[in-house]
Amino acid sequence: MPQEFAQSSSTQHTQQEQTEETAVHTTTAANVDDDVLDAVLDDIESTLETNAEEYVSSFVQKGGE
Amino acid sequence: MPQLRDSGNSGPGSSIQQSAQFEGFARIFGVETEYGVSVTGAKKPVDAGQVAMTMFRPIVSRARSTNTYLTNGSRLYLDVGSHPEYATAEARSPLDALAQDLAGERIMIRLAHQAQEQLRTAGYGDALRVHVFKNNADSAGHSFGCHENYLVRRFVSLEQVEHELLPFLITRQLYTGAGRVTESGFEITQRADYLDEAVSSATTRSRPMVNTRDEPHADPEEFRRLHVIIGDSNRSQWATWMKLAVTHLVLCVIEEAARLGVPSGFEAFNLADPGEANRAVSRDLTCQHTQLQLADTGNAAATMSALDIQRGYFTLVERFFHDHRDAMLAAMPSHHADSPWDHGVEQALSEWRRVLDVLEAGHVTDLADRVDWIAKWRLFNALRARKGELSHARLEQLDMDYHDIANGTLYDSLLRRNAILQLVDDEAATQALHEPPSNTRAVLRGHFVQAALDAGAQFSCDWTRLTLTVPQHREAVILDPFNATPNADYDRLLQALQ
Repeated sequence: MPQEFAQSSSTQHTQQEQTEETAVHTTTAANVDDDVLDAVLDDIESTLETNAEEYVSSFVQKGGE
Repeated sequence: MPQLRDSGNSGPGSSIQQSAQFEGFARIFGVETEYGVSVTGAKKPVDAGQVAMTMFRPIVSRARSTNTYLTNGSRLYLDVGSHPEYATAEARSPLDALAQDLAGERIMIRLAHQAQEQLRTAGYGDALRVHVFKNNADSAGHSFGCHENYLVRRFVSLEQVEHELLPFLITRQLYTGAGRVTESGFEITQRADYLDEAVSSATTRSRPMVNTRDEPHADPEEFRRLHVIIGDSNRSQWATWMKLAVTHLVLCVIEEAARLGVPSGFEAFNLADPGEANRAVSRDLTCQHTQLQLADTGNAAATMSALDIQRGYFTLVERFFHDHRDAMLAAMPSHHADSPWDHGVEQALSEWRRVLDVLEAGHVTDLADRVDWIAKWRLFNALRARKGELSHARLEQLDMDYHDIANGTLYDSLLRRNAILQLVDDEAATQALHEPPSNTRAVLRGHFVQAALDAGAQFSCDWTRLTLTVPQHREAVILDPFNATPNADYDRLLQALQ
């Protein structure tokens, strides 16, 4: 019995560690993604200051294919 | 109906001098991309037509025409309606075709920046910007294309293309769609709203999804050139690679079935209304809610989701690969063994499986580093979270900016920050500007163009013919796209240039 207990305790411990690791890993990955997205949004800030209507309406093409 | 004159072929044809690659699964890939042009910030009126002509001035002074072939074997020209167009040289693998397509982007960027400088100097003001769009629709609803070309054995019938390939092409948009902001919301594809007929010979008046114009640019007894119109122009390198690689795998199964005269298994996915299905797939960002009506083929399940259809194709292709592994691997040469993307067959299967797993799990944004529409959509959502609701014009602008290869910011930023995959690095893309794929006839064309330019000779080309007009008239026919070895006529042609 003590052996079994020890085993189950150690298994539990390992599982807990794994869960923690996974959680940390996921959080880190999500943070990295958010950081990258934030950086991209900073990069395109100047584009957001230009005249969207002019940019869009100036692109009229004819024909093709 | 001249476009259908070859449609009766079914079962292997007999050719006297068969190409070495007629047996097996070897493929020739090519991508034709039409670009859109616009100009902003000019001090005085200037239109897209003038900009396009200014872009092509260096080409006209070199080739005396707006239509020319380049030293990398590709074709560069100005299409109807001021569309600069670039058609890649013949490639044997998706990675080579991708490198050639990226070389085309670089050429367009260079021409655009040169034109921008010239127009600024010519009094249009320093704020003038030239925009070159690798997308498929302008703001007024005109649509233009990115056409994929696959050399396919002639015994594959047009019926098979329509019933067994088209459902795949329509549903692959889940991961190859470039995304578009429309009046009625965000859509997966650029093109779905503009395509009507399923398979036809015309492109400009009505837009089919697969074009059957019979111009194989190879021995017409053995091959046809499948001209796929349904696809979007992709910025994502992964998406361009993926659409070529996976379509090739599906074509292998269809070809082998036609060769043996047995069903491919894909006929179960034949759609009742391809045009309607295409539009429905484009509008369902969950990728699995919308059910597509299947044609009446005795199949018990009368409807399937786009994702289920993709899973069905994947399962059959994976099984086929298991049975034909050696032949399929042998058919696609690889020369950069260290890059996984050079293994066009196994890597494509593994990417395909992952994409379907992720979409089935509903984790769409996990594919934002690969799939254009998802990259765009995630960015728009992040921007909304930061800035609040955005105007329709602003969203349209950002959508177009993503495709603006000359002065856009969105895609370049994603690439620079490793938020989107890069399969071909800058060095390899620059190399592809001057180096044709080494294992197709493109290498003969590219070297001929280089030699003719070096000699100051006058020449012309098309895909199967090289012609020297001055200093003397010589011609070489290069009919077999798989053949990179000079023939006697080609040797004489080059001798005349020495």
